[in-house]
Amino acid sequence: MKKIDKAVADAYFKERIRLIGILLVIWFIVSYVMVFFAESLAQYSFNGFPLHYFMGAQGSVATFIVLLFVNAAISDRIDEKYGLSPKKKIEQTLDRSVNQ
Amino acid sequence: MGTQFIVSLSLIILTFALYIGIAIYNRSKETSEFYVAGRGVPPIYNGMAIGADWMSAASFIGMAGTVMVLGYDGLAYIMGWTGGYLLLTFLLAPQLRKYGRYTVPEFIGDRFNSKTALVIAAICTIIISFTYSIGQLAGSGVVIGRLFEVDARVGTMIGVAIIAVYATFGGMKGITWTQVAQYVILIIAYLIPVIFMSLQITGNPMPWLSYGNVVAELGELDRELGVSQYFAPFDDATKWQFLALMFSLMAGTAGLPHVIVRFYTVATMKAARWSGAWALLFIGLLYLSAPAYAAFSRFILMTQIAGSEIANLPAWTEKWINTGLLQMADTNGDGILQWAEIAISNDIVVMATPEIANLGVFVIGLVAAGAMAAALSTAGGLLIAISSSFSHDIYYRIINPQATEKKRMFVARLSILIATVVAGLVALDPPGVITQIVAWAFAIASGTFFPALLLGVWWKRANAQGVIAGMVVGLVVTLSYIFLAKYGGFSIAGIIDTGAGVFGATAAILTNVIVSLSTPAPTQKIQDEVMDLRYPEQMTYKDGEVWKDETAG
Repeated sequence: MKKIDKAVADAYFKERIRLIGILLVIWFIVSYVMVFFAESLAQYSFNGFPLHYFMGAQGSVATFIVLLFVNAAISDRIDEKYGLSPKKKIEQTLDRSVNQ
Repeated sequence: MGTQFIVSLSLIILTFALYIGIAIYNRSKETSEFYVAGRGVPPIYNGMAIGADWMSAASFIGMAGTVMVLGYDGLAYIMGWTGGYLLLTFLLAPQLRKYGRYTVPEFIGDRFNSKTALVIAAICTIIISFTYSIGQLAGSGVVIGRLFEVDARVGTMIGVAIIAVYATFGGMKGITWTQVAQYVILIIAYLIPVIFMSLQITGNPMPWLSYGNVVAELGELDRELGVSQYFAPFDDATKWQFLALMFSLMAGTAGLPHVIVRFYTVATMKAARWSGAWALLFIGLLYLSAPAYAAFSRFILMTQIAGSEIANLPAWTEKWINTGLLQMADTNGDGILQWAEIAISNDIVVMATPEIANLGVFVIGLVAAGAMAAALSTAGGLLIAISSSFSHDIYYRIINPQATEKKRMFVARLSILIATVVAGLVALDPPGVITQIVAWAFAIASGTFFPALLLGVWWKRANAQGVIAGMVVGLVVTLSYIFLAKYGGFSIAGIIDTGAGVFGATAAILTNVIVSLSTPAPTQKIQDEVMDLRYPEQMTYKDGEVWKDETAG
């Protein structure tokens, strides 16, 4: 066990929180805000759909999926930056379950 | 009965034989590995397993029909049941993974160091799972009813008998490779009819790209008939109901005990994040296809079925009319079936569409097999959650701590049996369509577990008194609102029963915060444990300092 400077630990936490905050703002916009303005969006169309319908049926869901992968990838990079990448452990477990 | 019956039944039996075969093959290996070093399912397969757990009768059988009947307003289910994964994966799953308890009531019991909180959480688990399983049993009634060409109620009774046996046998819960197989069959069974219909109607094999024009065309057809357009927003309910329902489904997703448990089978917090991402990709495949399914079904019904002579309806109509879920009556007596004269239940759209579109016996049978897997696997898992909450958290820890292993086993079996029979009785005359019943379960989860877990993970000052008061108030508010809105005609801003979670969650968060602040703070040890959840596994928070474990890296 090695002690970590409190400032470093706080910086790690802040970086993670900022990422989650940004992603949740996008999440909120593509779902709640788009629904709130559905009537005004209805006059536009996209790929044959009225725009509000497209956002509800496809746009929002596709954005959610992308946001989750972005979160996983950037979080990995933050972990690496702070020297926390649990690489070895994951590989071991992967091997174990593949061999089952 | 005929060929269709034989093909459907054989496909159902074959797929179930496959699941059980994989389960038996893997069982011995997995149980021995599970608690020691196990926990090592790769995120991509864990994502598929979460997908199979997640996609119940509501997603598979009910959702496309709900979107078809409600139009734009039905999309609240699509966004709600996918958007919740962000709350779950960002705010709860990795942290709960680090805390390392095996069930949600156990987390609540230990985090707040309170037996009372544990028992209330166990009771909430039972209520949520029970409500949820009513929807599953109603779903199996639809499938079995059609298979044997009997009333859906008789179908439900047969389903109850099968599920009772299946769940006591041990279900398929927790056996990842079975669930991976289940996911694959489920998604193939769902996509094939959508792709075929897309080819039939638009000539394009990619339904996701082609159905936009069909939606627009449906709007045209509606305008000609003088009814409100398919995609018109907030036609069935208010905008506030849409937003409330969407919130309720999202928060409920993040608080559903049987979904959260899946995240305990991954190795690390990092793997929890990737599992969440893969899970939504696999789930999204079905959710992106459901509105296409809905649009094609409605298009075929409007253009090929409506307008036929009433004496000359296709053979499939009679089989569905026998289940009591489809009505086609020539109310104006002109000998022609009009669109307005077709009353189709949300719950049969997915099952009936392959027949309506004439996709052949194999596809129809495949859809039946997929639907049975969705309904039975989820119902099995839910009943096991009910029985373990009752026999372990309530009976063993509170009522009779001296109970022998044998006696606890007996109580567990007995509670599965009672829960199945009671849920089956309610499902005989379902109080709503499948998606609606399942939405109540989500509303209750968003009013109880979502606030308790969110504050438990992110606010170290939350204490036992706060969480107990919060869960009780959240449960009472949500349940009262559901009953008052459904049977008492009560509503606020046009929000009906399915959107009740928004009130439950608000009330629970406020109560939790106010009560926590006006009672003593939790012990330093508990506060440290909560601070510790901010960091990944390699870092530990202790006495105001952060330590890094070099060996684990």
